[in-house]
Amino acid sequence: MNELRALLRETLLNLRGRNSSILATLLMVSLSFVVFDTFLVITWNIREILRSEQENVGIEMFLTDSLDERSARALADVVSGMDGVRSVYFVSSAEAEALFRAEMPERSDLLDLLGDGYGLPASLQVSLQPGWESEERISTLAGTLSRLEGVGDVVWGEDYLPGLNRVVGALQKLDIFAGAVLVLSISLMVANTMRLSVSRRSLTVEILGICGASDWFLRAPFLLEGILTGFTGSAGGLLLTAVASALMQAGVGHDFLPGRWVSGVLLLGAVTGFIGSWIGLRSAIPRPRRQERKT
Amino acid sequence: MSDALVKFTGVARSYSDWPAVEGIDFEVRSGEFVVLSGPSGAGKTTILRLVWMGDLPTAGRVEVCGCSSDRLRPGDVAGTRRRIGIVFQDFRLLPDRTVFDNVALPLIVSGSSPAQVRKRVFSLLAEMELSHRRASFPHELSGGEQQRVAVARALVAHPEIVLADEPTGNLDPESSRLVVDLLLGIVRGGTAVMMATHDPRQVPPESARFLFLERGRLVNPAEWPEAR
Repeated sequence: MNELRALLRETLLNLRGRNSSILATLLMVSLSFVVFDTFLVITWNIREILRSEQENVGIEMFLTDSLDERSARALADVVSGMDGVRSVYFVSSAEAEALFRAEMPERSDLLDLLGDGYGLPASLQVSLQPGWESEERISTLAGTLSRLEGVGDVVWGEDYLPGLNRVVGALQKLDIFAGAVLVLSISLMVANTMRLSVSRRSLTVEILGICGASDWFLRAPFLLEGILTGFTGSAGGLLLTAVASALMQAGVGHDFLPGRWVSGVLLLGAVTGFIGSWIGLRSAIPRPRRQERKT
Repeated sequence: MSDALVKFTGVARSYSDWPAVEGIDFEVRSGEFVVLSGPSGAGKTTILRLVWMGDLPTAGRVEVCGCSSDRLRPGDVAGTRRRIGIVFQDFRLLPDRTVFDNVALPLIVSGSSPAQVRKRVFSLLAEMELSHRRASFPHELSGGEQQRVAVARALVAHPEIVLADEPTGNLDPESSRLVVDLLLGIVRGGTAVMMATHDPRQVPPESARFLFLERGRLVNPAEWPEAR
């Protein structure tokens, strides 16, 4: 407890009298995070659009004319008990026609031309449970459904789903890449700041070491400073991005980052600050050596 | 290890192939006052740095308070330094801290409670006649007062040995005499003192053991004119 109190005091002493350099570092870290956060906001909104598209992906089972309504409803019961199926809705031939006329009134004359003897096929609209949007799972399920008695064509969005999934996967990879670039650049920035900070307080570090301070005691205040810099910089970045997001809301409707993403960004800031200060301290606080460093 | 607080065995230390000291063998025991003397560049400061493990030897072995330079484990250096007090020619006081805070440093880094720190520092400042200066900053003190603060910092954690590197180098004769008297008082209390100085006449011959250095080697006092 005494040591912790002393460490916090050393951290505050490190920060004292360095307002301009601290503000400059915080500004640089915040601006770097603004770029990252903006990218995250765009990614988040695209992903949400894609996710809702994915969630809407379902399977449409067209039934043969030989299947009466009673048999069709029995088939619906069978399908609704299958793995991955959330719900099944039976669309009768009459309902399909009504839907067609409602959704495409300009083409309803086609049905009139075909006459009363022709009816649109009845179908089962199958919606899927979350996590069943992958191309492989849907295609397997569709294959199983197509082999059922009384089922004609089975349609499931095979034309656009693979592309949609590829876009989502690419966005995830971009997120990781952007995060890695951010961690690297901010770590180097914080590392440089820490080297300057240690250099400025070299006498303190030397005297504390001579007085018997442990390696941990010497490094911890600077590590804590790095964590605080990263955390505060990421918070500043989020704040600036939130303000920009609010200003743009009227022009381009979008959502800001959800709570767990905001927490993730703050954690990333703290971790990045820690990594940066750890890198900076490796060379800035020397240990006793048997040989001089080759320069 | 013997009962010596400090033991150098065949010690050499070089910097960029330049041998600062070599072939050094000596011991320091509790309650001894050892004066390291010699001209500038003879290796006095290097030997003190080796004692407080600011450097490690390039050859030979340095043993300090039971810790050997050839078997160092994590934490050994810090642990050994907590048993050593160090006084420098340029005082090395932290300019942004008061006299009290400077003196308290060794206790703070060793995890003493605030109450323990206050009790010990107040008592030592009173002994050093610095109580009235406890809230002052180093730049507000005279050279002699700054060196007394540095001595107080070296003594505050009850060290087994005090190292003094040219402690009178920046002081007037009167302040120098006071600092040497302080060091002699420390020895009388049973603590060993190693003092590096280019002027051995500052210390009464009967009070100390003298080691003379020339070009990084210990030499016979008879071979060094100023020792006579």
